[in-house]
Amino acid sequence: MLRHDSAPMSSAASRRPSPIAWLIAPALLLFVLFFILPFAVMAVMSFFSGNPISNPNAVLTTRHYQRFIEDSAGIFHDALWETLRIGLITTVVSLLIGYPLAHWMARMQSRLGHALALMAVIAPLLTGIVVRTFAWMTILQDKGVINTLLISWGVISKPLPLMYNEFGTIVALVHIYVPFMVLTLIGVIGRIDERLEQAARSLGAGRLRAFAEVTLPLSLPGILAGSLLVFALSISAYVTPSLMGGTDVLTLPMLIAQQLGTSFNPSFAGALGVILLAVCLVIVIAYNAILARLSGEQGLA
Amino acid sequence: MTSASIKLASVTKTFDGKVVAVDDVTLEIGAGEFFSLLGPSGCGKTTSLRMIAGFEHPDAGRIHVGGRDITDLPVHHRDMGMVFQSYALFPHRTVAENVAFGLRMRAVSKPEIERRVAAALAQVALTGFEGRRPSQLSGGQQQRVALARAIVIEPRVLLCDEPLGALDRKLRQQMQFELKELQRRLGVTLVFVTHDQEEALAMSDRIAVMSGGRVEQVGTPTEIYERPRTRFVADFIGEINLLDEGARPRALRPEKIRLVPPAGARLAGTVETANFLGGATLYRVNAGGRTYLAREAHSGERSPRAAGDAVGLAWNDADVVSLES
Repeated sequence: MLRHDSAPMSSAASRRPSPIAWLIAPALLLFVLFFILPFAVMAVMSFFSGNPISNPNAVLTTRHYQRFIEDSAGIFHDALWETLRIGLITTVVSLLIGYPLAHWMARMQSRLGHALALMAVIAPLLTGIVVRTFAWMTILQDKGVINTLLISWGVISKPLPLMYNEFGTIVALVHIYVPFMVLTLIGVIGRIDERLEQAARSLGAGRLRAFAEVTLPLSLPGILAGSLLVFALSISAYVTPSLMGGTDVLTLPMLIAQQLGTSFNPSFAGALGVILLAVCLVIVIAYNAILARLSGEQGLA
Repeated sequence: MTSASIKLASVTKTFDGKVVAVDDVTLEIGAGEFFSLLGPSGCGKTTSLRMIAGFEHPDAGRIHVGGRDITDLPVHHRDMGMVFQSYALFPHRTVAENVAFGLRMRAVSKPEIERRVAAALAQVALTGFEGRRPSQLSGGQQQRVALARAIVIEPRVLLCDEPLGALDRKLRQQMQFELKELQRRLGVTLVFVTHDQEEALAMSDRIAVMSGGRVEQVGTPTEIYERPRTRFVADFIGEINLLDEGARPRALRPEKIRLVPPAGARLAGTVETANFLGGATLYRVNAGGRTYLAREAHSGERSPRAAGDAVGLAWNDADVVSLES
């Protein structure tokens, strides 16, 4: 009874933030300095006719957004659609390649085998993005490895259009982003108890059915996270589409770089940036909602 | 529910080409029998069970169930119920969906599934828990769901891999009674893997004691306890006094030793320690330069002895068991 007074004291103490909370300060600072601040500047710029600091005549306007919506030159909407299509295809292909690989690695018994496979998966991340892209160019271009071989074997007479188009861009993007998919999925699949699948099999499900009924639904959170990561990375990719896409491919990030570098129109570039982010957010939220509903039916929500 | 007999004929399983997990094991388990595989970890009991279930394929030997060779039959065609130590309930499904799983795989009609799931949950006293998720249940309740999920498919054989291992002592004892009762009611052949000798003695019709991948002895709980064949079995099941070592050691259970007045006893000695066990006391008695274990049940008349007391030891020669090695 005498100890009653200690209860409110301890709850007051627990309401005080833990000293460990201060450790997130550097991350928070980084986030504000390099994400919130630049984005805010970009968003503000996109509503001005010119740079408000250097040009005192700059006025507030929505004409950059109108320019995008009207799209008199007929390239902006195409660029947006191209960007989303490349992002979508890259994500789906990365998932189809990455899932079986991640499943195989997560279920591997041998530690050495797991380490070797992990190294092989991470290897593309250890090479620079430009080096990787040029490596693909030597393989895919008209006088590259594949076309030269196929022509010398007489399979084809003219080189196949393997690069300077969407195909080449997607091949190179998938190569770069599969590791992100695999690493995300390995963690999630590895945490699924193998005995769940065994239980399903003992109850009469074949291997494939057991996988579809148990492991696949339980790995939905990993599929969600991996897909969002790869999608976000590939719609914001700049170097790979510019090098691999040639004149055929114009994505929004390339357009933004053009507006900044060649046309020197940072306000319109800012508007494009805001549009890309907005479209991306809408898609991510929609995708999230669909998968959450799917896994909600499975009881993961 | 029809039950089936199980026969393991010279079954051997080696892992990674060197570790012999199961070494030439031959067993016959009768239809409707409660049969335990008992032994320390690594003795091959779980591997034997997994071979019966079909998760492992024997390197040599055949496995028959109900007179039919099932060695090469895939897991999902074996029609066996399996209960895992970790329960292995599907976390993304409700209790009812977990139990319905096996019926769904058998393309049973919806009303029939509902009826049988309700019946199975009633069998394990979990009516009303249909909509819960496994994570919302206690360990004992999860265990019951795992049981219901295994029996709802009306298996001819029920395989249990240390199913009570994760439960606390009190709950485990209650589940022992319930599982035994359920098995009797269903008449199903039950193979029970455990390292807990008390559990095996309490529940089984027959026990196979395993060690190092081999079967040391098969028998009823009484036979295993009263007439252990090998030193390993004698030692593994309860406490034992080894009277003489060597090629043919002789063994005597502590409760077969009587504490008597020193005069005229077979051996005279002094009590080293007295461990009060509730219903009995376990004495360590030093006599003739060695230590004997003697368990004395409390009848309420005799006053308990304390450390340092002089006592005599007595036993009947008929209670002494000769061991093979």
